[in-house]
Amino acid sequence: MTDVAADLDRRGDRGELKRSITGRLLFFYVLGDVLGSGIYVLIGLVAGAVGGAFWLAFAVGVTVATITGLAYAELATKYPRAAGAALYVNKAFGNRTLTFLVTVCMLAAVFAAAGSLATGFAAYFNQVWDLPPLLLVSLVFVVLLAVVNYVGITESVVVNMVMTFIEVLGLLIVMVIGIWYVAEGNADFGTLTDFEAATNPVLAIIAGVALAFFAMTGFENAVNVAEETIEPAKSFPRALVGGMIAAGVIYVLVSMAAALTVPISTLQGSDAALLEVVKADILPISLTFMTYLFACIAMVAITNTTLVSVVTQSRILYGMAKEDVVPSGFGKVHSSRRSPWVALIFSALVVCGLLVIGWLLNEAGVGVDVVERLAAVTVIFLLAIYALVIVSTFKLRGSDEDDDTFTAPTWLLIVGLLGNLVLLWYVVDDDPSSLWWCAGLVGVGLVLFLIEYAFGKRDRPASTGRGDTVTED
Amino acid sequence: MHVIMATDGSKQSLAAAKYLKTFADPTLVTEVSVIAVVRPLAAVGFADDLAEVRTRSGEPQFGSFREAADHAVQVVAEALAGWGPKINKRVRSGSPANEIIKAATSLDAGLVVVASGSRGISETVLLGSTAQRVQQYAPCPVLVVRPAPRKKATRQKA
Repeated sequence: MTDVAADLDRRGDRGELKRSITGRLLFFYVLGDVLGSGIYVLIGLVAGAVGGAFWLAFAVGVTVATITGLAYAELATKYPRAAGAALYVNKAFGNRTLTFLVTVCMLAAVFAAAGSLATGFAAYFNQVWDLPPLLLVSLVFVVLLAVVNYVGITESVVVNMVMTFIEVLGLLIVMVIGIWYVAEGNADFGTLTDFEAATNPVLAIIAGVALAFFAMTGFENAVNVAEETIEPAKSFPRALVGGMIAAGVIYVLVSMAAALTVPISTLQGSDAALLEVVKADILPISLTFMTYLFACIAMVAITNTTLVSVVTQSRILYGMAKEDVVPSGFGKVHSSRRSPWVALIFSALVVCGLLVIGWLLNEAGVGVDVVERLAAVTVIFLLAIYALVIVSTFKLRGSDEDDDTFTAPTWLLIVGLLGNLVLLWYVVDDDPSSLWWCAGLVGVGLVLFLIEYAFGKRDRPASTGRGDTVTED
Repeated sequence: MHVIMATDGSKQSLAAAKYLKTFADPTLVTEVSVIAVVRPLAAVGFADDLAEVRTRSGEPQFGSFREAADHAVQVVAEALAGWGPKINKRVRSGSPANEIIKAATSLDAGLVVVASGSRGISETVLLGSTAQRVQQYAPCPVLVVRPAPRKKATRQKA
């Protein structure tokens, strides 16, 4: 492989090494991935937790996430590979068990995220056509996305851009409604500084950030394309941080618009909260039309982000199969489509399983808000991973650096690390039962490992040890 | 004539390269460019089925799709080595069909060789595969090397 790498460098000098992801594309990739992941689904819950000042929760959340993004940017420019957190933690600690755990946690996080998003999608779908039951809609959604990924439509950069534009358009509509409302002179700006009466404002904000944090996740998927980014040292940090800041500004403006136009109690009680802003009927446009339009935009946004999570799931499983820590079947790609079909089917099954379990628990009388619970599970995993990635950044300072490496400001990273840990503590403390779901998802990874451990020897040549790179015949 | 030999890392693409050698006249083919395309937004950016089993120390490898593509190009290029024409190796990134067609246009190719994986249901029912799109839009003749029927395939292996 070193020959190949040297060869690669030489050809790079000759200009034949073509990469295709420009800084601008990466910016839209990050923006689209982050924007879809939560504001459409979670804004009502956050409003309920904080009160009228819930835009602050989005501002604080996006700040912590952007700082974490700086750590990712530093490591991605040092190690531009399509592997992410597991690679960084392995480089920093060199501990195989820890690396395996991080990989499994990342996998679990994207499983939970997809489940939460699918439920959110169903809620908006319900606004357009309320005949099919929610569970059915979310299950069909998950299966369809697996098929779409198998076919490979989502690989189109153009499709990606268009979806991101539609997402931004939806949030622009909300902002326009807010501006219109203010211009009409109806706005009561006092709402923006209101806190839930019962709690301490700081605690209320932490609670809000903890809920809102799901909306900030997704940026870490930018490492998926790190390897194919043109001039990564320059464009990667810019696109990642730029995308996060753009998303943050949009989030804050949207939450202000929502707080001004709709009573907090209405936002809190709604499954599709941003739609309430549209339903306030402020713009002189047909309400039915706007409702349909906005629900469709929300569905596109959620779809975009869920697609990335489906890609990430199957990519992680594929990588693990190549590392020989899960059964090698996950490393199978379809002979002509080159898609990891086993991993895609398995991922879809796990996500559907989560949805069905949530539904069964609700049927059994244990009230579970599937969106909220799975979002919390995602956030727990990701906060732990983010914190570990920041620690890895510190540990890897001074090694593998060259003139091109981007270096994040140390004090900012410390602030980010503390922010991640405080949020992690809060989320776990606030909702300890989420840990059961976390344990279950990590269990899926462990079971796969044990299956490989018990039966995997047959597909591994005798001369190689566990974890050696073994490629199938 | 400049020939473009596309590989997606499949065994079939290696077979296509070998097939090309069986009938094309190496004195008329001046240059062969072996091209692999990494798909940055795909779940698996590039799957290399041509890699040999390697023994490694217990370090996780964190496979790089670009290295996988590079290796596949290397293997296919080696299959053509010594045949006569000059062999170039290129790895591009983007949508495979697009990049192959772009390469064919910019290199002024006289022939594009692609492999087509299977005759399965996904090939006929779902949207066009890379091979189909290349043969529809390529600026030059296209050779699509299809897999041999099953019995012959096992004989080839043996």
